[in-house]
Amino acid sequence: MSIRNFKWRNLYLWFVFIVLYAPIIFLIVYSFSKGETMNNFHGFTWAHYQDLFADSRLIAIFLDTLLVALLSSILATIVGTLGALGISQTTRAITKNTLLSLNNILMVSPDVIIGASFLIFFTALKIPLGFGSVLLSHIAFSIPIVVLMVLPKVQEMSRSLLDAAADLGANSWQLLSQVTIPYIMPGILSGFFMALTYSLDDFAVTFFVTGNGFSTLSVEIYSRARQGINLEINALSGLMFLMALILVIGYYFINQYSSRHRHASTRGRRK
Amino acid sequence: MAANIQPIVRLKNVCKSYGDHQILKNINLELEAGKFYTLLGPSGCGKTTILRTIAGFTDVTAGDVEFDGQVVNDLPANQRQVNTVFQDYALFPHLNVAENVAFGLKLNKVPKAEIDKRVAEALAMVQLADFGDREISEISGGQQQRVAIARALVMRPKVLLLDEPLSALDAKLRKDMQYELRELQQSLGITFLFVTHDQEEALAMSDEIFVMREGEILQGGSPVDIYDEPINHFVANFIGESNIIPGKMIQDFEVEFVGKSFECADAGMRPNEAIEVVLRPEDLDIVAAAQGKLVVTVDSQLFRGNYFEIVAYDTDGNEWLVHSTNPADEGEPIGLTFDPQDIHVMRLNETEAAFDARLEKYEDD
Amino acid sequence: MQRKQRLSRQTAYFIPYVLWIGLFVIAPVILLVYQSFFDINGHFTLGNYQTYFSSNTYLMMTLNSVWYAFLITLATLVISYPTAYVLNATKHPQLWLLLIIMPTWINLLLKAYAFIGIFSQAGIANQFLQFIGLAPQQILFTKFSFIFVAAYIQIPFMVLPIYNSISELNPSYVNASKDLGATSWQTFSKVIFPLTLPGVKAGVQAVFIPSLSLFMLTRLIGGNKVITLGTAIEEHFLTTMNWGMGSTIGVILIIAMVIIMSLTGGSKRRTKRGLTK
Repeated sequence: MSIRNFKWRNLYLWFVFIVLYAPIIFLIVYSFSKGETMNNFHGFTWAHYQDLFADSRLIAIFLDTLLVALLSSILATIVGTLGALGISQTTRAITKNTLLSLNNILMVSPDVIIGASFLIFFTALKIPLGFGSVLLSHIAFSIPIVVLMVLPKVQEMSRSLLDAAADLGANSWQLLSQVTIPYIMPGILSGFFMALTYSLDDFAVTFFVTGNGFSTLSVEIYSRARQGINLEINALSGLMFLMALILVIGYYFINQYSSRHRHASTRGRRK
Repeated sequence: MAANIQPIVRLKNVCKSYGDHQILKNINLELEAGKFYTLLGPSGCGKTTILRTIAGFTDVTAGDVEFDGQVVNDLPANQRQVNTVFQDYALFPHLNVAENVAFGLKLNKVPKAEIDKRVAEALAMVQLADFGDREISEISGGQQQRVAIARALVMRPKVLLLDEPLSALDAKLRKDMQYELRELQQSLGITFLFVTHDQEEALAMSDEIFVMREGEILQGGSPVDIYDEPINHFVANFIGESNIIPGKMIQDFEVEFVGKSFECADAGMRPNEAIEVVLRPEDLDIVAAAQGKLVVTVDSQLFRGNYFEIVAYDTDGNEWLVHSTNPADEGEPIGLTFDPQDIHVMRLNETEAAFDARLEKYEDD
Repeated sequence: MQRKQRLSRQTAYFIPYVLWIGLFVIAPVILLVYQSFFDINGHFTLGNYQTYFSSNTYLMMTLNSVWYAFLITLATLVISYPTAYVLNATKHPQLWLLLIIMPTWINLLLKAYAFIGIFSQAGIANQFLQFIGLAPQQILFTKFSFIFVAAYIQIPFMVLPIYNSISELNPSYVNASKDLGATSWQTFSKVIFPLTLPGVKAGVQAVFIPSLSLFMLTRLIGGNKVITLGTAIEEHFLTTMNWGMGSTIGVILIIAMVIIMSLTGGSKRRTKRGLTK
């Protein structure tokens, strides 16, 4: 009975797994299909990829998207890490909880609310819509996730590590650069990767604050998809799948690294 | 003789409070070169706070911390000539064993060749010569402990502060480390200030013990002095096992308890003053009831391996703990004998200064 | 002296973060609320709220949006709970979890776009219907396709919190329950499910709130058959340029969000999985 039972269970899991991946694979398969639709596979071709690389507008948007993602995640990581350090130093519980609640507002808010309120904000401050407003928005909505990734590492760090370093002669800058930052590095890297994926994935917020001249891949895909099937987008999805895969692998290794060190520190404390 | 030596560390009237909460109440303390000191007390008594004020992690509310006669109250931790071994070791998880030990030397810009040499020496000193390349996560708790000691000693401090460093180790390892720490201290000849709540550890390792309670040092002295002549009920109870019985001082060298009077070795109290008497369980000998100075009835006993722990009650209802190599019969009366010098008389609420003065007075006679 | 120095250093590096909170968290919300009191000509008015509460269209739209969000959440939950449960029993749950979560790293728009192809008139879904002998249907631009794709996209966000609470469940509870004579079903309904309820609540929160505001799916997949609060906001801000009314609906959406969060307890949405927004 248990063997039968086990089979059914795995079957269900495989079913969910296939449903989740089928559309993605479907998309990529058709990026290699001759023809113009996703209905029948007409034979292998690189043509859509060639179109893609010849599409200078799309390439420019792709580079813009990368630029926004990198810049915003670097800046968000810096601000978020400083924020996490600051939050961990607040002594009063009320202050800390208030800061954390404020931090989480952008995490729980629906994208349209963030997009609409940022649009009002930029307009009120007369900040022109375009690269700048998109970059600022991406930094803004990436900061809280960086804080959430870094804060546990900061709090996990035993106070006596800093005492020990001071005891051995470290001044306050050396405490930060030689103890705190190396210790929380896994959290900082995770935060950076999160910020990167947030930025690359965002559609709704960008859609609100992008104005006319500037576009990111998500917004571009949306406007092209509204016009129907275009296998160039399939080719694009093939590339983005590759990019996502690289990110996943990168993130996986960071996690491995950080769990190794987490292991180290908990063991150090207990025994 | 010892009083003439300039102490390395001196705390003068040190107080520390957080808001209304007083952690340290007027602490006075002197540490001399080359000795092993222990701060002993239950958790929350302020012993770790004393360590932190000396290390420079905590500033004092009032009073002075002196090094070699210089007040260092405002000197930050990274400029003080002491180093600390932390309770959780505080080894940096992102550095390996050798890098941990080299950490302080690198900060002080010691030349590379000398760093390597001193790190190797320090690791050899704690018997971890071949462990330099290991990650902290790869070594055992006892080894981490040694790395923490090596990391502090490599700085060649005048005083090494140890904050309950053995509390995370299992019983066997703890015993071994007691010997090793004591040997290390004696061979290096530097001052150790050791914090613990374990009285056995304190008795075994120290040249001098400070017993603390609620932010005050109750008694300081050699392990033997503190064991034999505890100043009050708390110290007697905290150090070793004791029978503490209420009594009355009839006159010098004569004390009364459980309705009988006994010869004793204490003096200097008012006639008929209410006092407490301490008798250690191992100083009591069991004899036939008829021959006993005191007769008690055996209630229960436990075999502890090298002795029997016998619980008995006298006619006043006081509990008596007796350590004996022979078992007793439960429910039967037994006699207890003891020598006059086994009786230690404690006055109620006597300060350490008054206690010392009184002791000096009648011992000189 | 020393303490003062430490304090000033602390505030110095805290400044960018506090500035961010002020400018990008507090100010926009206040501006949104403020904007909701202005009409399309920039005059102060309570008219937006009057319009909203007296108009059948707006109220029905809100109810519809909540109803569809409920259907999406229900569909996601029905698929995800067994998934998480089975996942926990596999030999390599972490690997399976990673596989389930990986699709969230693919851009949302691309997944929506894939379904435009799959559900189209001559698409693979209709080819399959024909293959099993059914007549081809209009699938794209229906309410069904909207719910299906929305649920598809959100499954991982539901699986993750439920899996976490199931994996934290001490197996002794299950053994104890069986030891005390409970059947498998009783063990599930009286022990396992109640103990994993926090995970379910977190999952519901993670799915329900975005489902109220998904606007690009209603356009690309729903063919405007479904209007969510999100669609309405986007319409008012970017098409009709009636920011006042858009902000009013935004305030309603915020209120709905607060209600849901207080019902499901806390705010722990989508932090661990760390993927899309």
